[in-house]
Amino acid sequence: MSAPLIVAVPSKGRLKEQVEAWLSDCGLSLSVSGGSRGYMARLEGLPGVQVRLLSAGDIAEALDVGEVHLGMTGEDLLRERGGDIDARILLLRALGFGRADLVVAVPKSWLDVETMADLEEVGHELVARTGRRMRVATKYLVQTRTFFARHGVADYRITESGGATEGAPAAGSAELVVDITTTGATLVANGLKVLSDGVILKSQVHLTASLRADWGGGQLAVAERLLRTIEARALAHDSAILTWPADPRDAQVVQGLVARGATRRPNGLLTPVDKIAEASIALAGAGIGPVTASSPDFVYDAGCVSYEALLARVEN
Amino acid sequence: MRAEPAVPAAALAAIRAPFDLLGAETVDAPILQPLGLLLDLAGEAMRARLFVVQAAGGEETCLRPDFTVPVVRQHLESGREAGRYYYEGKAFRAALGADQPDEFRQIGLERFAADGETLEADAEIAALAWASAAAGGRGDLTLHLGDIALFSAFLETQGLAPPLAARLKRVAARPRLLAAELTRAGTEAPVDDNGRLADLLAGLSEADAAGLLEEVWSLAGVEPVGGRGAAEIAQRLIRRAEAARAPTLTVAQAEAVRRFLAVDDAPDAAFAAVRAIAGKSADLEAALAAWGRRLELLAAAGVPADRLRFATALGHAFDYYDGLTFEVRSAVLAPDRAVAVGGRYDGLPARLGGTAAVRAVGCMVRPWRAWAGGEA
Repeated sequence: MSAPLIVAVPSKGRLKEQVEAWLSDCGLSLSVSGGSRGYMARLEGLPGVQVRLLSAGDIAEALDVGEVHLGMTGEDLLRERGGDIDARILLLRALGFGRADLVVAVPKSWLDVETMADLEEVGHELVARTGRRMRVATKYLVQTRTFFARHGVADYRITESGGATEGAPAAGSAELVVDITTTGATLVANGLKVLSDGVILKSQVHLTASLRADWGGGQLAVAERLLRTIEARALAHDSAILTWPADPRDAQVVQGLVARGATRRPNGLLTPVDKIAEASIALAGAGIGPVTASSPDFVYDAGCVSYEALLARVEN
Repeated sequence: MRAEPAVPAAALAAIRAPFDLLGAETVDAPILQPLGLLLDLAGEAMRARLFVVQAAGGEETCLRPDFTVPVVRQHLESGREAGRYYYEGKAFRAALGADQPDEFRQIGLERFAADGETLEADAEIAALAWASAAAGGRGDLTLHLGDIALFSAFLETQGLAPPLAARLKRVAARPRLLAAELTRAGTEAPVDDNGRLADLLAGLSEADAAGLLEEVWSLAGVEPVGGRGAAEIAQRLIRRAEAARAPTLTVAQAEAVRRFLAVDDAPDAAFAAVRAIAGKSADLEAALAAWGRRLELLAAAGVPADRLRFATALGHAFDYYDGLTFEVRSAVLAPDRAVAVGGRYDGLPARLGGTAAVRAVGCMVRPWRAWAGGEA
């Protein structure tokens, strides 16, 4: 019983580079088999993992239906799968890149529309006056429908858009759009503005687990190693080691620092990065020094939040 | 897809019998309906429940979610003024993960008439739904009645500023917006950034206001896109500023609206409660007098008085009802699993291209729910 843990990784573009950089930072370099155009790979140093290179959209689908165990893709694509997605997938960790907002944008010339409530009224007036519904161009049907329903906007129609959604109002094929934006520059260039309460989702890439995948063949043990490594690296980035020559006067200062999140070491402290200065000054103030600060490569905590969350969901 | 089990022939015949008695014309509707038309009528929220079908390169269609819209269209195409149409067949709505069939049998009737006799038509259709549902053999049915138009009549009694009354009517069927409006009661109106521009525009003729707005656009470097013209936006800026300055509901008014919408009781007690909350008003008295007549007609048609309830907030998934609404519910089935539903929808024929004079009321029974051995 040792089927591989299948991990889906973006196969192209900036997203691929970012995920690869993040993996190799964790000491888990991808080694692609079958040449540079191969779509299978392994993770160096972690046997039992089979990597599949897929497009970001396909990763969302593969996670949803359970074809892969883990994957890295945008939350916007996962949420667009529809239904009760949180019953089928589990977001384990936000990775801090691939940031994009899914927003409701209307023409800047609509000076009378600032909020979703305005949009509700304009849509209602349009249908009452002309019998036509306000058209919304988007490829995010599911999230548009949910968001509009939550804001009580009912008088609209979705016009499915394949690409260049933000050009739809200028082209006359829709009145407004729901689309992904990173800087908002494309929207502005197309004469659009984001409604003040029109941010549907602040999306980024997440390490995500599929709850529908078969976890019964030893994959959990491999996943635990992978997740512990990832968390240890992330915690290391947020931590610093302070060391100083052994000094009997340090007990009281150290006690205070431990109370604020540090951990005692044989001849020093492990402390959150943003507390380095505070801790060093406190030590210096007690006449203790010199204090050396260095950053650890990995910090393995006794627990592993993401693994425990996964275990709790797949064991039921 | 999950289909409903079949109802035994004898039970189905009993449920169908009251429809046969009315001598209506039998009609059928195409299973494939134009998707765009249904979404225009029912709104995008309906899309999630529709089964969309498309041939390569063809128009988007969906499996019929009910018969009302196609029957209205057939009636309008016939060019006749009046008609009673009877239909029976499968309809399709996605259960969305709920433990319900996506494919189910409906028996229904739609009645069209020119002006007049609306109360008689209301009572005939509600009594028909009752008789058919009751023929299924369940002894635990209740006929829940409602009236979409009564809310407007009630609001008239509250002396609200016109923009506020209009907003309340609009949000009546949208629980979230209505709750927000009621919660806002008694607070200061929010300050509006565009108020000064709106003041300027309000002093101008419609054409000058549009011209000024165009100047504002060009000064701000805004390229107008998206279909709405300068005149439309200028006028709405003015209305929006007026609405923002109009007082919100007072706490007492909000409380009256809450109490009104919570009324759900035996009809006589319900109407007494409505009178007590609303106070005197000729419109409201006329609406309640009409209800007195409907109840007489229902009693004459054999609907037992102790099986009736009236709820001011009785609404429906399709938002085209605009007068009487009703549902026959069984005590053992959840309220969202009505045995029969129906109501008056005078506004729909006009939206489908008919004349405004056509009056319409209809009902639909689900035999599998009506039959005592059916849905549990």
